[in-house]
Amino acid sequence: MTAAPRRQDRPPGASRSLTGLAAALLPEGRAGGAGWHARVPARLDAVVASMPLPARTGMRAAAGALDGYAVARTGRRLADLSVPERESVVGALGARPALLALLDVVKVPVLLAAGTERMVQQGLPAPAPAREDPPLDCTPSDRWPARSTADAVVVGSGAGGAMAARTLARGGLRVVVLEEGRHHSTASFGRRAPLDRFTELYRDGGATVALGRPPLLLPTGRAVGGTTVVNAGTCYRTPEHVLARWAGEFGFAPAADLGRYLDEAERTLQVAAQPTEVLGANGRIALAGARELGWQAAPLRRNAPGCKGSCQCVVGCPTGAKQSVQLSVLPAACAAGARIVTGARVLRILVDPDRPGGPRAAGVRVAREGGGTLEILAPLVVVAAGALQTPPLLRRSGLGGHPRLGRNLSVHPATSVAGRFAEPVTAWEGVLQSVGVEELHGQGVLIEATATPPGMGSFVLPGVGRELSAEADDAHRLATLGAMVADLPSGRVLGRDRALVRYDLAPRDADRLLTAVRAMGRLLLAAGAREVLTGIPRAPRVRTLDELDAVLGQVTAGQLHLSAYHPTGTAAAGADPRRFPADPAGRLRGVHGVLIADASLLPGCPEVNPQLSIMAAAHAVADLQLA
Amino acid sequence: MSAAAGTGGGRGTAFRESMAGTVRLDGEDHARRVRLDLRVTADRVLRPLGTTQARAAGRVRIAGWADDPDAAGELEISPLARRRIRYRISFIAGGRRLTLDGWKSVTPRRPLASMTRLPFTLYEDGAPAGTGALRFPAATQLAPFLSSFRFPRQESGPEAFAAPRWSGAPGRTEVWYTTATDPATGTGLWLHHEVVAPTDGSAPHAHGWAAVFPAGGPVAHARFGPAEWTRPPDGFAADGVAARPGRLTGSAGDLRWDLAEQPAGAPLFTFPRWSWRRPLLPAAQMLPAARAHYSGTFSYGAATLALDRAPGATARIFGHGNAHRWAWLHADLGDAVLEVVAAVSTRPVLRRLPPLVFLRLRRGDGSTWPRRAERTAVGWAGAGRFRCTIGLPTWTVTGRAGLRRIRVRVTQPAERTLALEYTDPDGARATCRNSERADAEVVLERWWGGWRTERRWSLDGTAHAEVGTR
Repeated sequence: MTAAPRRQDRPPGASRSLTGLAAALLPEGRAGGAGWHARVPARLDAVVASMPLPARTGMRAAAGALDGYAVARTGRRLADLSVPERESVVGALGARPALLALLDVVKVPVLLAAGTERMVQQGLPAPAPAREDPPLDCTPSDRWPARSTADAVVVGSGAGGAMAARTLARGGLRVVVLEEGRHHSTASFGRRAPLDRFTELYRDGGATVALGRPPLLLPTGRAVGGTTVVNAGTCYRTPEHVLARWAGEFGFAPAADLGRYLDEAERTLQVAAQPTEVLGANGRIALAGARELGWQAAPLRRNAPGCKGSCQCVVGCPTGAKQSVQLSVLPAACAAGARIVTGARVLRILVDPDRPGGPRAAGVRVAREGGGTLEILAPLVVVAAGALQTPPLLRRSGLGGHPRLGRNLSVHPATSVAGRFAEPVTAWEGVLQSVGVEELHGQGVLIEATATPPGMGSFVLPGVGRELSAEADDAHRLATLGAMVADLPSGRVLGRDRALVRYDLAPRDADRLLTAVRAMGRLLLAAGAREVLTGIPRAPRVRTLDELDAVLGQVTAGQLHLSAYHPTGTAAAGADPRRFPADPAGRLRGVHGVLIADASLLPGCPEVNPQLSIMAAAHAVADLQLA
Repeated sequence: MSAAAGTGGGRGTAFRESMAGTVRLDGEDHARRVRLDLRVTADRVLRPLGTTQARAAGRVRIAGWADDPDAAGELEISPLARRRIRYRISFIAGGRRLTLDGWKSVTPRRPLASMTRLPFTLYEDGAPAGTGALRFPAATQLAPFLSSFRFPRQESGPEAFAAPRWSGAPGRTEVWYTTATDPATGTGLWLHHEVVAPTDGSAPHAHGWAAVFPAGGPVAHARFGPAEWTRPPDGFAADGVAARPGRLTGSAGDLRWDLAEQPAGAPLFTFPRWSWRRPLLPAAQMLPAARAHYSGTFSYGAATLALDRAPGATARIFGHGNAHRWAWLHADLGDAVLEVVAAVSTRPVLRRLPPLVFLRLRRGDGSTWPRRAERTAVGWAGAGRFRCTIGLPTWTVTGRAGLRRIRVRVTQPAERTLALEYTDPDGARATCRNSERADAEVVLERWWGGWRTERRWSLDGTAHAEVGTR
């Protein structure tokens, strides 16, 4: 700890406003920065630079406004103030309840940058890959010919695209998989800091936001393997009642027979219940709490045989234990002859409007990473760009005529709660998403014990300034739980060139979120938490269930920190041609030769982590296409 | 193509295109220059708003590696509908068979660049062997490219003209007639199949006759029909007599025939082509194939002819009836075919005019002189039209078009001529004197500062001719 208050020196490469912001929100704690703290502004600059333009602009504007406020109050900019002066400036702002929510948003990248620098300082664990990655046939788009042909083009290499590609390739078709992101090997994950991977593996640097009341953070992956590279590896089978609804109410024919496809997906991904040895303290606390309450809970079924508990699922598994599709499905597809083109953003699906029998897809035009375009002609185009990217792609291809395209968006809104324990928990040592508490699943609430590397989770520590510093220093005593709710299809995806997501939380789902927060608080208190961090800026800490109930009686779901993880349903398949853009076999209506094979295909909310559901549905519709 | 039944096809498209660029072969570290010269033909007129499939033939040159003058492939031309012009050209390079597959992607944002740049991939047995791009040099090639565009007629096969034309209107007559000369014996044959729809609206009837002109004997003929006309899908069939594409069978009196017809050559329109497609003239005549060969048997009395590739032709007539006066000649000149119809209309005023002459000389290279059928009939507003002196036993035709002029002299000796009576749909009668063993003298001259004889043909008993009078 420094003896005297000192001005924050601006490290090279960081903007002055962001330097001031980082220093004001998260001053050096009592543990001392030991060097890492000085590097936070530069890291923050990098984080902000990776954000999409609106988020970047907003972040810089917020930093600028804070700076302006400091100038108005003190005549000097934040970075030029002493620590107590900064504390008084930020404290004055934090006293205004209306600004608390805004400060919470601005805090997220600062915590992310700080968490990363702290981790770098402490020395990166360097987990060695358990085995070599199975080979993939990847070609960067700038080395792919400008003109080529295939029997089928698969747009997207995530859960759906990989499964469709494997099915079609095994069916004897010449398949080309187009992926906008790059290929990252397991070894490359081990070599780099989590945050560096974070900004590369996520679309928009992880800052995709669904606009609406309230706004939701909706991160999606962008790499060979899609979101399966960065998901938690939790593999739930689609619940029977969901399948019955899909088949009966919506007429999504493959749902009636999805069981064998789910079996196949589980076999492919080597899904098994997570062994308890590497579960970590976070998961053990969730189990203990559930046991105390007599709730139904168990280690989650995951696709990570040999998981070492690196707790880095969300930035790419550094040991290769998690069987993301680029380690499990895509190698099989490549072995059957499929080829993957990376750095290939599909500009549009080419459509021949004058074919006998109506318009027919002819191929795709692709933007190369280094500039220029390439085209691939194929009579079958499989769209598996994800529920957020598929509708814009179809629209800019002139195939967005169906009035329900882009609508019917379910996202599994989620929130998280932390509990402070007397003993160190060190939640980031163990499995990232370890235990599922299904007690309230019948009410549409699924609780999953989820811990992340510091700063990367959806839980935001309370306070600003010294209070926040103290919380950050004490983070190793926190256990975090997350809960997602089965939601109504309250969102839609707009836009042609960029996806613009609009989502308004339905009142029913807002109630479910509050129910989830109460349940998680109760679970943590039952497990022995001394206090519960609610994530609500006005009442960040409660010590008893009664206090929690009192707080929840006064807040709405809009005041929670919300995020969402599983967008589905935006090009849904079903029997009614007026309600569903795709027919029961997944073929887009109004054109021949376009198959939907990703989460957008699912006609309703899957109510569980959807990787298996997406893979099984994509497998089923690809099978139907071959038949 | 939606030509009416029996009227043949439409037009096609032909053009030339040259492009140059580079190609980088797999395993090589340098680019090679490549040049593509194509002749493109399509069976239809290019559809700018639609898609046209076309064939391409030409030359592919790749510096230091390939020069194949016999490259061939196909084009998919769809600049607006599919916004794509695709080339698939196969050629031989270094003993390997390669395929160039690429397409121009037309975008309205950069029309010139996108219409002139052709990126492509080379394939060998379906596996990529190299990539490259060709460019159409608009500055130097646009004018030759545009001026190379042709829209040639798509000559259909003879079967496209076989279907009956008559569609129910009264006062029409339709004829399929075949003449041939047996090269072994010099015997001439004539098969005439006719449908008459009387002017008074009564039911149409089919009839006809066969005639044989033996070299050393008298002319014999016999009629068949009249019989009820039931329209077959193609050709003529009535009263046990059939004239279908490729086959002529039937009997009349003691004449019996069963002949296979093998067409040779493109259709020949003696009258303007439009008059066959749209029957605006009183009548029109055409040959589905300019010449044909006939093999089979023809019996008359006790004699039987065994024909083997006997030269001749089948012709078609459709119209209101016979002319007021007329003369007809079909002369197989060996390396050419001459078809002449000279006719005086039956219409009140027109019958006072001299005969309109339609003369077509189909040459060995497939071209026809004069190029337009109207030229010989009406000339330039009457001036320079061809002239015919109709008479017997000799009639003549003379005329000049461009740098050539022709003289035709036909002799039909009375002993080799058969006189028959024709009946028009309105009941009027005409007398026809026909000989399939006529003589003809044809002289073609060309102007080289003075008239010089270019070709001279003399047919001794192998010309097919007819003169009709009233």
